[in-house]
Amino acid sequence: MVRFEIKKIFGKRINKLVLVLLFVIVLIGSFLAIRDVRCYQEDGSVRSGVAAISQLKKLKNKWRGAVTEDVIKKVVQENQLSRDSETIKLARQQSFDDIREMINAGFSPAEGYDYYTADQISPEKAAKLYEQRIEKLKEELSAGNEEGNYTNKEKEFLIHQYESLKTPLYYEYAEGWKALLDSQYLPTLMIITIVMIGFLVSGIFSDEFQYKTDSVFFSSRLGRSRAIVSKIAAGFLAITVVYWSVMLLFSAIILCVVGFGGAGCMIQTGLGNWESFYNITYLQDWLLTMFGGYAGNLFILSFAMLISVKSRSTVLTVTVPFVLSCAPMFLGRVQILTKIMNFFPDMLLRISKFLDVLLVCEVGGNVIGVYPFLIVLYFLLSLAIIPVLYCGYRRAEVK
Amino acid sequence: MELNIIDLTKKFGKFTAVNHLNVTMTNGVYGLLGVNGAGKTTLMRMICTLLGPTSGTITCDGKDIMSMGENYRKKLGYLPQDFGFYPEFTVQDYLLYIAAIKGLRPVVAKKRVNDLISGVGLSKAANKKMRKLSGGMKRRAGIAQAMLNDPAVLVLDEPTAGLDPNERIRFRNLISELAENRLVLLSTHIVSDIEYIANEILLMREGELVHRGTAAQLIASMKESVWKCYAQKKDVSHFMKNYKISNMKSEPDGVELRIISNERPAMDAVPEEANLEDVFLYYFGEKVSDTNGAI
Repeated sequence: MVRFEIKKIFGKRINKLVLVLLFVIVLIGSFLAIRDVRCYQEDGSVRSGVAAISQLKKLKNKWRGAVTEDVIKKVVQENQLSRDSETIKLARQQSFDDIREMINAGFSPAEGYDYYTADQISPEKAAKLYEQRIEKLKEELSAGNEEGNYTNKEKEFLIHQYESLKTPLYYEYAEGWKALLDSQYLPTLMIITIVMIGFLVSGIFSDEFQYKTDSVFFSSRLGRSRAIVSKIAAGFLAITVVYWSVMLLFSAIILCVVGFGGAGCMIQTGLGNWESFYNITYLQDWLLTMFGGYAGNLFILSFAMLISVKSRSTVLTVTVPFVLSCAPMFLGRVQILTKIMNFFPDMLLRISKFLDVLLVCEVGGNVIGVYPFLIVLYFLLSLAIIPVLYCGYRRAEVK
Repeated sequence: MELNIIDLTKKFGKFTAVNHLNVTMTNGVYGLLGVNGAGKTTLMRMICTLLGPTSGTITCDGKDIMSMGENYRKKLGYLPQDFGFYPEFTVQDYLLYIAAIKGLRPVVAKKRVNDLISGVGLSKAANKKMRKLSGGMKRRAGIAQAMLNDPAVLVLDEPTAGLDPNERIRFRNLISELAENRLVLLSTHIVSDIEYIANEILLMREGELVHRGTAAQLIASMKESVWKCYAQKKDVSHFMKNYKISNMKSEPDGVELRIISNERPAMDAVPEEANLEDVFLYYFGEKVSDTNGAI
């Protein structure tokens, strides 16, 4: 029965079109993400994409290894020794740019990031980078805008997380993971994917009413039992297969072209996640992002299927994934809603972009990061929707 | 097999679609006859467990069909009035899918589907997409799906609607063939269809059973006679206002009228033998004066 339900989903012309479109979007997204890998040349030109990768890899891997105090000092010295023009300087800084950015982020004033911090700092001061990271957090938690936003328990948790980061950090070329996880393309692709899968699953339940096949369906022997289970199974199978196919294809294209290197580096090695309290590697970041996205997809799309059962409208159902994945972004701009919006399922589609934001919550007396909590919460809610879906459809009357 | 409808009522808000209906049916073909809105489809949907009754029950061999669930539905075949289909499925896929939701094992389903495809004359169209079938072919696919589980109760709601005369006759014969050893409940507006194949006819009006019996019994139950007469065109409106007109046929020198009336409607009127269409008109028909006499 599941086979026929799958055939119904993928047999629809619009759904075939959606799949082709999704494939094209993955290719375009991968191309753009790869194109954003840039290598500056001393003559002022810029190489990008495939042409830049091998050169950049060679340059960055010169600094491969532990980012110790000595390495930090050396980076500051090399950075400040250069008296070349901005163009040549930019080209030469590339090899240690990630470490330079860690220094910038670490020693920039609380008011905001300053790109030139590393140009003015003394090597001895810069060497205290890891201690400075913790000190800066403590200062921010006890003063300024952060005051009052966190409970003492949450503050303790954040400080503990910062202190637990094993230093010195190991560094190597990790542009593949950065292109994949630190760019805006992955969250955008996740939103597009969820909207597209919305088209696929929107008709699983409501099409029986739209096609007027409901009478035969519900008057059949298994029409109010196993046939519904097979519809639910087909829905979850379609969500799972399409989501993971898109994500694995996108990841594989970028990592195969830009490189798998750096999977074991901590995400704090660079500007993007220097302030993150998640002490994880790029590979773990990828897993968290992917499973988070999957939990978000499962919940939003199973909720859409529930709307399909209740409303019997395929058109209304198609709008649900779009509304749930996009509307909270705008509502979150309303100050009183900001905190609540952090718990909406759309957050799971943007994990990689917001890992550096200090979002925590207290569950059962323990403080944890928001994302692990949301993954478990929405995965369980997706499972909780299944019996509601089943019972709602089972009781349907044909008037 | 005995299907017992006991004091069955179905209300949609203030509207009563089926009103305290009591019928017992055993094997045989039952024709359900009534005007639009008489409650035929609602009754059939309740028999198919698609709608729950507001009050009353339907029992199958003494057990409530709603409580029986799967055990009842496995005996049921239904061809709805608005027969829908999955447009991207081929005829074979469609029937295999319905066989699956009817709980047939794949091996049995495959054989049954092939038998029914040839049985309803769709062998050449087996691999055609459902959306590409003609109206008649779709109806044949519809009857095939209803027969997949060899049902003991076969419910056919307007099965010949929209078919051309050839398809209708073919379909009618098909239903007659399938009617052996089962209970067939057939609803239609086309009186001749019922006249040919139904063993017993149930007349419904405003949710109630008005009369039941064989065609001959129903004809005999008419308390008025059937007359044939000729009239000038200018006099037709007078007849329409005062009598139930069963048929009107234009002739070069006037109009031939078939009238249902207690008294002789005209001096030249001659008595005619009544048929089921006359019965239909007798029970459900209205004189023009009943509806738009003011016009």
